[in-house]
Amino acid sequence: MIKKVGVVGVGTMGQGIAEMLAKNSLDVLVLENSADRLEHAMHMIEVSLDKQIEKWAITSSEKKLILSRIQPVNNMEELSTCDLIIESIYEDLEAKKEVFKQLDQVTGASTILSSNTSSLSLTEIASVTRSPERVIGMHFVHPVSTVDLVEIVRGLKTSEETVDALKQFAEVIQKNSVMVFESPGFVTTRLICLFINEALHVLEEGVASAEDIDLAMRNGYSFKYGPFQMADHFGLDSVQAALENMFREYGDLRYRPSFTLKKMVRAGQLGVKSGVGFFKYDTDGDRI
Amino acid sequence: MKVLVINAGSSSIKYQLFDMTNESVLASGRIERIGMDSSIVTHEPTGKEEIVEVKEILDHVAGVKRVIEMLTHDEYGVVKSMNEIDAVGHRIVHGGETFKNSAIVTDEVKSEIKRLFELAPLHNPAHMMGIVAVDANLPEVPQVVVFDTAFHQTMPKTSYLYAIPRTLYKKHKVRRYGFHGTSHAYVSDVAAKTLGKDLASLKMITCHIGNGGSLTAILDGKSFDTSMGMTPLEGLMMGTRSGDLDPAIVPFVMNKEDLTLNEVNSMLNKHSGLLAVSGLSSDMREITDSMAENEDAKLAYDMYVYRVRKYIGSYTAAMNGLDVLVFTAGVGENSVVLRQSVCEGLTYFGIEIDEELNKIRSKEPRVISKPNSKVAVMVVPTNEELLIARDTYNLVK
Repeated sequence: MIKKVGVVGVGTMGQGIAEMLAKNSLDVLVLENSADRLEHAMHMIEVSLDKQIEKWAITSSEKKLILSRIQPVNNMEELSTCDLIIESIYEDLEAKKEVFKQLDQVTGASTILSSNTSSLSLTEIASVTRSPERVIGMHFVHPVSTVDLVEIVRGLKTSEETVDALKQFAEVIQKNSVMVFESPGFVTTRLICLFINEALHVLEEGVASAEDIDLAMRNGYSFKYGPFQMADHFGLDSVQAALENMFREYGDLRYRPSFTLKKMVRAGQLGVKSGVGFFKYDTDGDRI
Repeated sequence: MKVLVINAGSSSIKYQLFDMTNESVLASGRIERIGMDSSIVTHEPTGKEEIVEVKEILDHVAGVKRVIEMLTHDEYGVVKSMNEIDAVGHRIVHGGETFKNSAIVTDEVKSEIKRLFELAPLHNPAHMMGIVAVDANLPEVPQVVVFDTAFHQTMPKTSYLYAIPRTLYKKHKVRRYGFHGTSHAYVSDVAAKTLGKDLASLKMITCHIGNGGSLTAILDGKSFDTSMGMTPLEGLMMGTRSGDLDPAIVPFVMNKEDLTLNEVNSMLNKHSGLLAVSGLSSDMREITDSMAENEDAKLAYDMYVYRVRKYIGSYTAAMNGLDVLVFTAGVGENSVVLRQSVCEGLTYFGIEIDEELNKIRSKEPRVISKPNSKVAVMVVPTNEELLIARDTYNLVK
């Protein structure tokens, strides 16, 4: 049974994953590549829990309990006792391969190694390990604590045993799981990035304003967020990276990132995390 | 005959071993933090020193195994071998409409309890783990299940139906079930016996007031109406629960504050009641201790008392009279000032509380009203475990 989970890379997604795991009574070890980033991540998790107290979702004693289950660690070796490790660093294949190479060295054969990649090849990530059968994808959707979905992604050599273990684990963390065979963008990223990209084309053609496009999709089709606010939450750089990867893999023009998107990323308008994207946000990530 | 009573939570097991020849408790205890690295086992053999140990207990099966080891231990055990445990009784929160009485555990009973998971998603699955764990450790020993809802199954339709489309009752069994039934049943029985009267001849209201609270109107010895509803959220204001409120507030607040279902549920169950109004505490002792200088604590207390009194009034009207008013559970048994405040406003019904009798602290059932009071006001300490042991004994012998 999976009881202790390591999270490597605690940016926005990693923070959400660590918090969600701790809420489900699991022991969580979190690792970052610098002490500053690690401290910042722990601070952001606390901020997130405080916001939930304000919304009456949890009590302050529940917050204490959740935080007590998340332990920051300073090096990869400390993750050796984990039953499962979830890598959630930035979407860069070479960087991910390096992490998995190291994880392969420090963990035993019973530890499942998973990646939260939204579009990269699991088979390629697994190729740098000695035991690719224990490597699998676990793609969560932001915000992790409220979206009840995880895509379980098989690489070419992922074993049935590993898949079954993660299916059971998905129940423990109270997420619906969908089984996905490796394919660029899986199900969720492929469909949602196309949706955002097409919305950008509509915007570029001057058909409607970003505000109105979002309003139309929110109210017309019961989306919680419209495509632009969604992109702001994901981070425009992440959306661009996912589209570029799918464009490369599929070779199909419909995945080519819109120029407006590229321009905004170059200007550092990345969405919620930089305070401005299509819309403006305060430091708590609330829309201004 | 020796009966082991078990109350299994999602990560805890509470237990008491009774010797039914004289209904004495041989030992009691609890295991907390099951499934975590360091579970805590607290074992209290009657008349001996308490034992506390920290060890890894991974699941309920291992937990019940440890309970049996404790009970049969050479040094701090109370029986020689597990063969001396003749029956096990479990507390089960929700028995739905199926269980009007306690029942011996069979395969059908188990599948029915599982079917009721959706009505008590936090409690029934944990109780089921307790039953499975006893199966694994004591396969030959008969088990009995005692339900919090069973006592209230005598309520008439007028009490248990909500005035919403009938199809919701037919399809999803949306209705009032009521809780704390074992406690209401136990204290009403003891109250009648203490008065030397037949329970069936009395109009009685039992106030089970602890961290959660419910009132029950008992007519002809049966539950006639109770303040908790389909879930334990309805009725009185409680430590952290709102109790009754206009249901239209829920969608209004969800919309205004952009709340999810989970958030609004958590708000009403964990962030409301005494805690919300006082801004201080969910604990009645802290509220009463600080209400002299803290206006919000005083307001929380007044609202709390007002709601108890309103329910007593409405149940008196519902039964067209009242003979006995019983206080029980943590707050009901211990808060002198709360009983005083509640009764002060009920003189119209002929309730006259005796201030001196009310102040006496005791573990015995007792009358605290004046001799000429038309209604007998009583304090009866509850003992749900004993009632579970009795039901188990009666079904198994």
